[in-house]
Formats: sequence, structure tokens, C-alpha cells
Amino acid sequence: MNSTAITKYIPALSDPFLQIITVIIILFLTIVIGKAITIYLQRSLKDKMDKEHLNILLKVTYYGIIFASVIGFIFPVLQIDTSSLLVAGGVLGIILGFASQSIVGNLISGIFLMIERPIKIGDTVNIDNNLGFVEDINLISTIIRTFDGLYMRLPNETVFTTNITNYVANLGRRFEYVIGIRYSDDADKAIKIIQDIIDKQPFALVEPAPMVFVDNLGDNSVNIIVRIWAPATEWYDMKKELLWVIKKTLEKNGIEVPFPQRTLWFANELNTKKTNTYNDDNRIVPGTDRT
Amino acid sequence: MFDIYQPPFTIETEDTVITVEKHGDDLIYKRMFHGEEETELLLLNNDGDILINPIEPVNLPKKLTSFLLVDFKRPALIRPGDRKKIYLTFPVEIGVFISDKSGNHEVIDTFTYSKIKFTLYGSHNQGLICRYWESDVFTELPQTDILYEGYIELDIINDSSHMMEVTKAVLNAYGMKIYYGDKRLGMKASMRIINKLLAETDFSTYPTTSRFKRSMELYTSRKFMPIGTKGIMEFGL
Repeated sequence: MNSTAITKYIPALSDPFLQIITVIIILFLTIVIGKAITIYLQRSLKDKMDKEHLNILLKVTYYGIIFASVIGFIFPVLQIDTSSLLVAGGVLGIILGFASQSIVGNLISGIFLMIERPIKIGDTVNIDNNLGFVEDINLISTIIRTFDGLYMRLPNETVFTTNITNYVANLGRRFEYVIGIRYSDDADKAIKIIQDIIDKQPFALVEPAPMVFVDNLGDNSVNIIVRIWAPATEWYDMKKELLWVIKKTLEKNGIEVPFPQRTLWFANELNTKKTNTYNDDNRIVPGTDRT
Repeated sequence: MFDIYQPPFTIETEDTVITVEKHGDDLIYKRMFHGEEETELLLLNNDGDILINPIEPVNLPKKLTSFLLVDFKRPALIRPGDRKKIYLTFPVEIGVFISDKSGNHEVIDTFTYSKIKFTLYGSHNQGLICRYWESDVFTELPQTDILYEGYIELDIINDSSHMMEVTKAVLNAYGMKIYYGDKRLGMKASMRIINKLLAETDFSTYPTTSRFKRSMELYTSRKFMPIGTKGIMEFGL
């Protein structure tokens, strides 16, 4: 229904006093209706939307109703021709459109981000190679606190068009260790020890089950892969803690993580001779081999 | 161990020593395990009684979920339209509460002697992280140690038209009603099977035995309205 159609139902008031009274009544009714609708929206959406976005929606709705009422009812009462406003509005719209192209782009991206919700406040994310916690999501920009504590404002257009990795969107997250043991060590025993350690960790999920197996026979070690699932909120603390516990427990059980080593075979036997060295007390320390 | 204590007092159970000392108007709460201090709190201007009782087993080591998944060691089969009562065990978590002048209770400490594990029930994006507990399936009341395990009297109702194999029960802590006696503690729950992928679990407000006392649950003392008290098992039985 356009304003011309509405005008047909509104009698033209020639008396300025009557016009003012009518405008006041329409404004009053509009405000009452606007308030009623916003209260209704607030009550019905307060559990479904976060507070900030709900406030934006309520304000847009409220002022939208008032704007529509001014254009649709008050202008016809005041006998203002809205068609001329449309032309002026069109020209103004083009100017504003060019001037605020990026703002509108960010605004629309912000609206789509709110609908799609790939990130939430508090999530740990990587947006355009910026890692951190989402502090705030506004209509125009998204605020990130990086892991080293920096404040970072990202325009919503960037957020929307770039790759987003949300580290806590799913409930569980897997991490992996590669643990090398000596060829002389018993890999089955090492696997059993690692499985026992995982079993004692509360946050190592039972399902999906952890995996511990010999992955490959490396140059210097037998490599055991350890894959553990943890709740997404706990995985990092667990990952930090568990590797050292595994290393210490393996060593306690006589299984060692070997250093890189290389066995050299010489074509001819080497001429070696045994010499003695002297300690601080000038006493002989026998049996030091020198090549 | 599960009782109301008037400070000052000391109780010792299973290598755990709980001491509450009076210092003027204040209380000092200490919990030691194997001689090592685990918790020490200063309760300012407080002379309330201390209540120690079992709480919902989903609070330790930190509040991560409100769901307990009891994994059956052997599956239980139930005929279509049938109803059967079985018994499971659940881990015990112990809550220490202090009462204020108006009789309200606030939790000051929680601990457990049971093994703590978590698991994922359902899909990675829509499932649930649950406290995990593996239990045998009993047809009679099991013998349990009150400090380690309680029992769940689970009434399984198969509303579907197929024979159903039940391998787990997902229970919501918001609905748990724990009752305890001198030697045992238990909960009464029901599981209504709708189809192979969907079941609903709920708790009864009645004790398994009339002699049992109602426990002060953590979720009750927190005084907020739960969103839902039922456990919906929508990712299989």
C-alpha cells in the first residue's frame, strides 16, 4: 500500500490547528504501537537472541514504525506530497550509497553473520589468520582479543568473506602426539602404558575412543601415534599436560625416547690406542679410549 | 559420613579428613586426602551447620556437562510394549554445604572417590558431552559402597513396536533426585523408548525406599529454574 493509496482514506485537513492535533494523535498512537510491538518482540525473543542484537532489532523496529507512520500518515495529513520526497530520497540514496558503500557492505555482512552464526562471543577462532577469542560481534565489525592480548577490530565484510575456523564450534577436538621409542624397547608395553595414562585422564573422551598404535619404523625410533579426543574447551590444557606425563612414565618403565643416531661401518679396522688421563688430584684415570 | 555436623568437628573416612574449626565468628574448613591438603576455606562470619551428602555426579573435576551417561556392560533387550525394572550403578560425588540463618544451603566443596571420565554422546556438532560411567545391569538391587557407588532403579518402558536393545542411559542432572540411607543411596528413574533412535529419561521424586532421606542436590541449592529436567536420547540407545 503506497502513500497515495493511504491518502485516499485520510481526509484533507485545511485547519492548521486540526492538522497539529491529528499529527499529535497519530504520533502518540504510533509510539504506543511501536512500544507495544517492541515489548512483545523483547519478551518473545529474549531467550533466542543475545541482548545486544536484540536491542539493535528493537531499535530498528521502533524507529522503522515511526518512520513508516510519518511517511504514510503524517505527511498526507499535512498535505505534503511524498512523490517529490521519493525523488529527493532517490538522489540522496545514490549519494549516500556511494559514500557508505563499505559501511553498508559491513552492515549486510554483519546481518548475515548474525543469521548464519559461524562464531559466538567467547569462541576461540581463526579469522583471516588472526587467532583469538571473539570479544564482541557488532553490526559493522567483529572484535577479537588475540592470544597475546591485542585488541583487533575486523570489518564484518572481511569476517564474512574470509575463511573462519572456529575451534570450539564442535564439542570434541582431537590432538596427536608422535612418540618415538628405541628399537630395543617393547612397543606393546609402551602402548599399554600410554593407554593406561589416557584412561586415567578424566577429559580424554571414552567416545570417540583414543587410538595408540605403531605408525612407522623411523630412522632412529619406532614411532607410536597417540590420538586423543577431548572436550573442545579442555583439549589445550590436556595436550600441554599429557606429553610430559607420557614421557616420564615411559622412562620410569625403562622405555626411552632415543636420540637421533647413526651407525657407521668402516671399511678397515681403525687403529686405536688406550691412553690414561689425569684427574684434578693428579691421579691416573685408567682406560680412556682415544682413536 | 552423610549427615549434618555442627562446627567445630573432624570426620575421617577413606583417607579423607574433613575439619571445621571455629575462629571467633569465622570457620575454617579443611579437607585433606592422604595427609595432603586438598581444600582450605575461610568462612567469614559464619556459624551455620555443615551438611555433607551425595550430589549429582556431574560436577567434577569441573562443571562441563549436566548429563550422566551410564554405559551398560551388557546390552538389555526388551520386547515391544513391555516394561521392566532394572538396576544400574552410578558414581557418587559428595557435596559439602553450609547453611545460612534462613536455612538456605550453599555448596563450599565437592569431591569424589569414583573414577571420572567423559564421553561424547551423539554427533560432534549436535551431541552432548556426558559424564561417563560403566555399569553392570542388575535385575535385583546391587550391593554398593555408599561412598563410591549408588544405584539407579530404572524402569524401562518400550513404547515402540519392535524389540529394543538398550546399551546406555543418558540422564539429566537437572532432574536427579538422590535419596540416601545409612548404607546405600539411590535414584529412581524411568526410560521411555519411543523408537530405535529416541528415548526419554526422567527421574521420580519418590525414594526407592521410604527410609531414605532426600539429598540436598547441587542443582536444587542453586535456586534457578532448569530449562528441562528430562534426558532426551536422540542419538540411539
